[in-house]
Amino acid sequence: MSAHDFLIEPFHYEFMRRGLVSAMLLGMSGGLLGCVLVLRRLALMGDALSHSLLPGVAAAWLLFGTSTASLFIGGLIAGLLTALGSALLSRMTRIKEDAAFGSLFILFFAAGVALINKLPTQVSLSDFLFGNVLGVSAADVRLSLAVSGLTVASFAAFHRSVLLETFDPIFHRATGGCGGVVHMGFLALTVLNLVAAMQTMGIVLALGLFLLPAVSAYLWCDRFISMLLLSAAIAVAGSLAGILLSFHGGLTSGPAIVLCLGAVFIASALMSPRHGVIRVLRDNRGRSAGG
Amino acid sequence: MCRRGPLRDIDAPARLLPRVPANHNILRFSDVTVRYGDLTALRNVTLEVPCGSSTAVLGANGAGKSTLLRSIVGLRRLAGGEILIGDSHPQHARPRIAYVPQRHSVDWDFPITVRGVVEQGRYPSLGLLRRFGRPDVDRVDRAMEELGILDLAGRQIRRLSGGQQQRVFLARAVAQGGDIFLLDEPFAGLDIFAVEELARELGEWEAQGRTVLAAMHDLEIARRSFRRGILLATELIADGPIAEVLEAQNIQRAYHSGGGPSPGSAPQLAAEDLRK
Repeated sequence: MSAHDFLIEPFHYEFMRRGLVSAMLLGMSGGLLGCVLVLRRLALMGDALSHSLLPGVAAAWLLFGTSTASLFIGGLIAGLLTALGSALLSRMTRIKEDAAFGSLFILFFAAGVALINKLPTQVSLSDFLFGNVLGVSAADVRLSLAVSGLTVASFAAFHRSVLLETFDPIFHRATGGCGGVVHMGFLALTVLNLVAAMQTMGIVLALGLFLLPAVSAYLWCDRFISMLLLSAAIAVAGSLAGILLSFHGGLTSGPAIVLCLGAVFIASALMSPRHGVIRVLRDNRGRSAGG
Repeated sequence: MCRRGPLRDIDAPARLLPRVPANHNILRFSDVTVRYGDLTALRNVTLEVPCGSSTAVLGANGAGKSTLLRSIVGLRRLAGGEILIGDSHPQHARPRIAYVPQRHSVDWDFPITVRGVVEQGRYPSLGLLRRFGRPDVDRVDRAMEELGILDLAGRQIRRLSGGQQQRVFLARAVAQGGDIFLLDEPFAGLDIFAVEELARELGEWEAQGRTVLAAMHDLEIARRSFRRGILLATELIADGPIAEVLEAQNIQRAYHSGGGPSPGSAPQLAAEDLRK
């Protein structure tokens, strides 16, 4: 197979071009958001949040059909309800935030699966859960462009607030920063990106596009800005590689992208010069041999 | 002498008279109460902190030391009373105040260098739009130089000793350019050499006219290195020169009042409620 066959030929198909553009755009913004999720230890919460979008999307489908706008708004409402509901539960009862989130998201997810069973038969549950690049419409690409643009612009405009709120929220508030606003804005952007990534990545796997590049970059970088840039770059490159893998390997796009990003993550975890497993093992052996 | 912060006094915009010793007490608590839900963390605290002094904020665990510092920077809303800095409310005096959090609240694995942390000191005064310019770089350099960490500027913060880590956050506070420093447990987890060095550093700050309030639990460090003290047990037990504050009967009241919290503090109130 020539390079042309491998790299160019897949994109003769319009749905491949759409899938690629959408995944790369959301990889760029998701890579940025993922850094904050990782550093603020919100990775599992992000996972829960993405699962909880399902009933909103399914209900929107059932009520208003397959338009991008209605699916998007449905998912958004479900995500915000979960975030808000768990915040209220943890504040008003003795339930801690992780338990509140965990309980709500599993409830939402079950409701979503039940709703999808009620949908017309040509809709497959697995498309919702794991994505289907064939279904990416022109409207989906426009949505990805808008969401990605908004996210990147927000990070560029508020990069100092993002850093302060991520690194030292107490200092941020003590110096008059609007910590609550930054945090809520961040959660809202996360939900936006998750919903936008649903078509290509699926609800269960969308977070992989955010998280895996960020943890990989975390293993290489000792500066926040370089972590952000590297994470976004890994996500974009992984999207390209994943879309190619899905075409040539006959795989669903979501898992293919996550597998490519996963390879980067495993390689980083092993080989990162300062924080990798190999380095840590070698240091430990050196220490025990030395005394 | 008090150095004035960069912010004009919003509460008294038309003041033309020069400042007189009316402003001598830089920090005033009048009848301040702070609650966390049902729990009272500070009750009816009234005190004054003179300008350019170093003050140890002392008391048992849960006595309200951190709450006192946090209420000054507006991290805790007051349930009653008032705090004044000079003649201003704290939110108007923010540029004068630098708050240094407890060391264990920091994520030391964060991808950030020493310089990156100290630069944060400039962010509040830059706001959203202004760019980080030459004067800011100079201020950051000077702050790092003052704290003796300029040669560590490029290091990730995990790769520092405990004393160096504390200095990074002090340098961030200095880079803010204020004159009031609130330090939450600055000596916690430091070895004795680092404690000595830090105490000496804070002594120099006092000599330069900076006002330092440090929450701590080690009475010996307070006695040796601080001029004044505030002793708390939810209520104010004593404040003034450190030797007077640390007199035996005060310590008795603050730490051993019946082996429990001071009279009328939250747990005891809860018990009284149950008896009714």
